Amino acid sequence: MKKNVLSILLCVICCIAFGQEKLGNRLMPLPSVDIKTLGGSSINTKDLQNEGKPFIICFFATWCKPCMTELKNISDEYEDWQDETGVKIYAVSIDDSRSSGKVAPLVKGQGWDFEFLLDENSDFKRAMNVNDIPHTFVVDGEGNIVWQHASYAPGVEQEYINVVRNILSNSSQSKTE
Amino acid sequence: MRKIYLVVAGILLTCATTFGQNNFIKNSRVTGNFQFDGQYYIPNEAIGADTVKEKVRANAFANINYTYEGFSAGFRYEFYKYPLIDFEKINYVGHGIPYYYASYNHQYFSITLGSFYEQFGNGLIYRSYENRNLGYDNATKGVRVIGKPYKGITLTGIWGTQRNLFEDQGQIRGGDLDLSFTEMFDKIGNSMFRAGVGASFISKYERDNSTEYHLPENVAAYAVRLNFGVQDFNLNAEWAGKVNDPSTQNSMIYKNGHALLINASYAMKGLGIYLTALRTDNMDFRTKRTAVSNNNLINFIPTLTREHTYALPSMYPYASQPLGQIGFQAQVNYQIPKKTKIGGKYGTDISINYSRIHGIKQHLVAEAIEAGNDMSGTDGYTSPFFGFGELYFQDFNIEISRKFTKSWKLALSYVFLTYNQSVIEGHTGEPEVQSHTVIADLTYKINNKHALRLELQHMYAKKEANEGSNANKGSWAYGQLEYSIAPHWFISVLDRWNYGNPDPKKRIHYYAVSGSFVYKTTKVSLTFGKQYEGILCVGGVCRTVPASYGLGMNIVTSF
Repeated sequence: MKKNVLSILLCVICCIAFGQEKLGNRLMPLPSVDIKTLGGSSINTKDLQNEGKPFIICFFATWCKPCMTELKNISDEYEDWQDETGVKIYAVSIDDSRSSGKVAPLVKGQGWDFEFLLDENSDFKRAMNVNDIPHTFVVDGEGNIVWQHASYAPGVEQEYINVVRNILSNSSQSKTE
Repeated sequence: MRKIYLVVAGILLTCATTFGQNNFIKNSRVTGNFQFDGQYYIPNEAIGADTVKEKVRANAFANINYTYEGFSAGFRYEFYKYPLIDFEKINYVGHGIPYYYASYNHQYFSITLGSFYEQFGNGLIYRSYENRNLGYDNATKGVRVIGKPYKGITLTGIWGTQRNLFEDQGQIRGGDLDLSFTEMFDKIGNSMFRAGVGASFISKYERDNSTEYHLPENVAAYAVRLNFGVQDFNLNAEWAGKVNDPSTQNSMIYKNGHALLINASYAMKGLGIYLTALRTDNMDFRTKRTAVSNNNLINFIPTLTREHTYALPSMYPYASQPLGQIGFQAQVNYQIPKKTKIGGKYGTDISINYSRIHGIKQHLVAEAIEAGNDMSGTDGYTSPFFGFGELYFQDFNIEISRKFTKSWKLALSYVFLTYNQSVIEGHTGEPEVQSHTVIADLTYKINNKHALRLELQHMYAKKEANEGSNANKGSWAYGQLEYSIAPHWFISVLDRWNYGNPDPKKRIHYYAVSGSFVYKTTKVSLTFGKQYEGILCVGGVCRTVPASYGLGMNIVTSF
């Protein structure tokens, strides 16, 4: 029995190693999971996009204090960020049916302008391998995850926008070449 | 175990046969995550931390997922053979691969073999989910087929067994139909209206081995739901029922069960109003009749109370009572606009929340009264729909937060709680706890990377004369100072002082010092200190946390 488990693990590790050696730094596309919009319509996470520009995905919950601080601090700078880079923020709530109904009144009450999504049974969270929230991803214009960060400390949001700036300057460089 | 081997062998075979294809390698992805929680235990008689023979204990797990276009497969290895004492207490002890799956997703359908997490509607009759910090995982293992024949129509069918701790138990099968009119009809989609309905059905099977009762072997539960919205207004309601299902939890009664959940909200920029009501009656639904505590649950009855994040008010959390509860919650969020005299430069946020939950009124049926108030084997009781029984829980709280300058931010809160300990914790005869808590949470952002946060809390809790009772600990004071250097470092010191404990020997300082380092998706934390004996709840599902003292280490990463 143990042998079986061990050999499976070995095979998988081989697979990973093989893949990475062959392709080096490949990009990770967004997984395909059905979640909901605040209006109750379903949306596939593969279809998240920002008209070819980079976007940010923040996992949060109404009961998670650092998450709310993070969204609040981003919101304070969001207008400037949008003017400069055209970035868009998807805020994905993992609130379950206990509190998912609270998301809309809470976030609108706060006056936040992000795109909010509901991941009630944590399917998207699992597919993105998120252990704990807050957890933030920066995604490029083609829908590939290029950067991620777990936990939140005031000031980390500067890293997010720097990554977005880098993506934009890299892509404009490659265009001019 | 052989099944896992087959699943993984299948994946590898597919791997091998398509290896040569460039596209295959290009589009294959392996991702995963890993978590380790370890603790070195030091016995401490004063706080009730027992000697742990092994001194060191730990939980660990890793998820590995593989995806190739629409195909995905994965497993979780869990090592809880010598788990933290909290997990040992709830029998979450074992190791192996309890979770593995393979699934294929297409535009019109999706098929999953193996373990999966799924929820019908709000979960009133079926929800399989995991919460690793709680030690809760009731994944269904079997088959799931989802059909999406037309936009807005989703049909889901499930059939399988249920994970309970480290075993697979019971048999459940069912289906769900979800119709979103907003997506189906462009006329609605393009209007200011939103509408949808849904219906679900679940049945469980358990053999009748009883000599005393004639027990139903197949028990069905069903639910219907609707959601409706006009512009900024939203209404969502679900009604669920369950046929007779005598169990240890409901004292072996044959009564049918019911649940009703209603959510209504109105939201516009700067203002949000939320109202919710819930009534449950005999809705404890498990794959095993004899199961208690958090074991073998099929459904999820949410609680309607605010989930407090501050340490002191979260000492008295409400635990959902599927057997009988009626209550409501109301919340208003308002932002005094930015750049106004009262609102200040950044605006001021106010949140007011109130929830109140009662038991339901019960009148025993004649048969039960004749049997000397023994309900077992009868229809139990009748219950008027709007009959409010004794008070279980009440919470009034208000939070005001304001950013004064770029550097200074302050949040002030007040929380009033009434907590019926005998019902919520099942300790019959314990007094009701009433507490008033005030909290100040001050953040000072030194510069772009450095920030200091100070949290001060005080809880005044009413003392009861119940001598020798461990329940009411009296008043508490709490202070925490946190220093963060973005994006890598956190340092925190805290002290939770039970200065008002009626027993002078128990006026203890529960201090803790912790530090953590974060690099991208990896976080390593060390904590040294005392953990007080309490309750941890997520979504209304709770477990007790035993007192402990020592050094803890936590490693989390994902890739």
